[in-house]
Amino acid sequence: MAATTGTPAETTTTATAVARARRVAWITPRGELLTPPRMTATAVRLLVQVCLVVYLWRGLYANTDSSAGLNETQAVGYAVLAVLANRIRGLDRRAGRDTVIQHLHFGTIVYWYLRPMKPQRYYALRALGDQLYGFGWVLAGYVLCLAVGVVAPPASLAVAGVFAVSMLLGQLVLYYVMMLVDLLCFWTLRNEAALMILVFAQNLLSGVYAPLWYFPDWFITLSTFLPFQATLGVPLSIYVGRIGVDDAFGQMAIQAVWIVLLALLTRRLWDRAGRRVVAQGG
Amino acid sequence: MTTPQGTAHAWRVVWRITKLNFKARLEYRGEFLMGVAVGAIWQVSIVVFASVLLTRFPGLGGWSSSDVLLIASMRMLAHGLYVLFLGRVQYMNLLVQEGIVEPCLIRPMPVYRQVQLAFFPVNAIGDLVVAVGLFVAALQRSSLDWTAGRIAYVVAGVLGGMLVEAALFTALAAAALHFPATSYWSQWLEELMGTFGSYPLSILPKAASAAFTFVVPLAFIAYFPAGVLTGHGDAMGVPEALAVASPFIGLTAFVLSRLLWNWSLGRYTGVNG
Repeated sequence: MAATTGTPAETTTTATAVARARRVAWITPRGELLTPPRMTATAVRLLVQVCLVVYLWRGLYANTDSSAGLNETQAVGYAVLAVLANRIRGLDRRAGRDTVIQHLHFGTIVYWYLRPMKPQRYYALRALGDQLYGFGWVLAGYVLCLAVGVVAPPASLAVAGVFAVSMLLGQLVLYYVMMLVDLLCFWTLRNEAALMILVFAQNLLSGVYAPLWYFPDWFITLSTFLPFQATLGVPLSIYVGRIGVDDAFGQMAIQAVWIVLLALLTRRLWDRAGRRVVAQGG
Repeated sequence: MTTPQGTAHAWRVVWRITKLNFKARLEYRGEFLMGVAVGAIWQVSIVVFASVLLTRFPGLGGWSSSDVLLIASMRMLAHGLYVLFLGRVQYMNLLVQEGIVEPCLIRPMPVYRQVQLAFFPVNAIGDLVVAVGLFVAALQRSSLDWTAGRIAYVVAGVLGGMLVEAALFTALAAAALHFPATSYWSQWLEELMGTFGSYPLSILPKAASAAFTFVVPLAFIAYFPAGVLTGHGDAMGVPEALAVASPFIGLTAFVLSRLLWNWSLGRYTGVNG
């Protein structure tokens, strides 16, 4: 621990690095806290969306007790948690003009390579800030939903623990998937369409629109070969009890494999992307 | 006062700019095709979700699956036409942030029209292809007798739905002239339309369906016109006359939103005040 046992110079350097990291991660939360309309919008949007999703799924289960192996409590719980979890990365970074595609469009991506911090580290810290801030909203929403009874608590402490680990792994997979999409911008400068397709694929194949259990078998099989269901589908299925604790470890191993593969791929892409960046005008 | 020659000239200009915009989008062939795919895939997501719900669950709020399909297809058609003709208004917050409104103010063309001519919406092609496909499927499954009156009402309903959607986003664009952070609200509105615009609102509690009728009037886009066509009468939660008047209400809402836009534009001062 350099901060406590190193020389005064090392201690200062470490402290500076930590302070810098904290400031970078704090950009999004600070931006949100300084714009009350955006926060109000987030709160109202989450509340209304959760209420509507509850009504929709209760309406669907009005004439049936079980569908695709899920009962009403499980289906409503899954749908509500999906709405909440989808907000973790649902922040509007475009408003701050700090998305990769915007920097490439305006030619300001070069500044990422001129700062005393590697672009990939800056990217990771910004994402960490986004996700921690988003997690705050999710936690508040979850507690509220538990209190009013639209989401049932986990069946046991073991389920809660496994769910928490799986959710963390899922967020890492999501981080790498989003990074992969951002890195593609270095090669395809006009790729808004590709971005939208990937966001759509993420929402559909991770089970945000509807749990994958309701889809046909071929669709479920297809999704097992893609990383998307590892982001939300697996942890939420563990929470509602559709995946048992014993089966969860296999699913978590698959999540871990996706993290390693995507980490290696994105690391290589960062190296190659850096070689494509030139100062404005070349 | 605009003369007929002046109007014809204005439309010729609009047509020439649209052709140029289309050619400009074709310059990036890959992106062009991906744009078409985005529209199609986005709509397919609604088809997939709707088909999953309809096959897994017995009916929806007292509506048969063919009737629900008619709501979904009419909403999609209305949405596709909105994206094609009036959808650029949704990017108003970006145009304000990037200072693009200022040059529009000194050009000899209404600002609203200039915004709509900013680029060609390639995704509308995909939207409309899937929407037409779903609409044909809905017609095939429908047991209704498609008289001239019903056909005329479907056309009016779809156009009215397009105008309701345009009115909502024009009102948000008027707000964006002063508060560019309105993108949050427009994203949410789009999400609400995608999620709840395609289903019978009778599955929701009365307060929620009333909100979707009188606060954010999603019900007038497809739910009411489809309900009138399929004979759901007063079961939609409003007097049938109000549901029948949906196309007219869409037109009125759009005119009102344009008046709001004109009023907001008159007070536009740029993002720096």
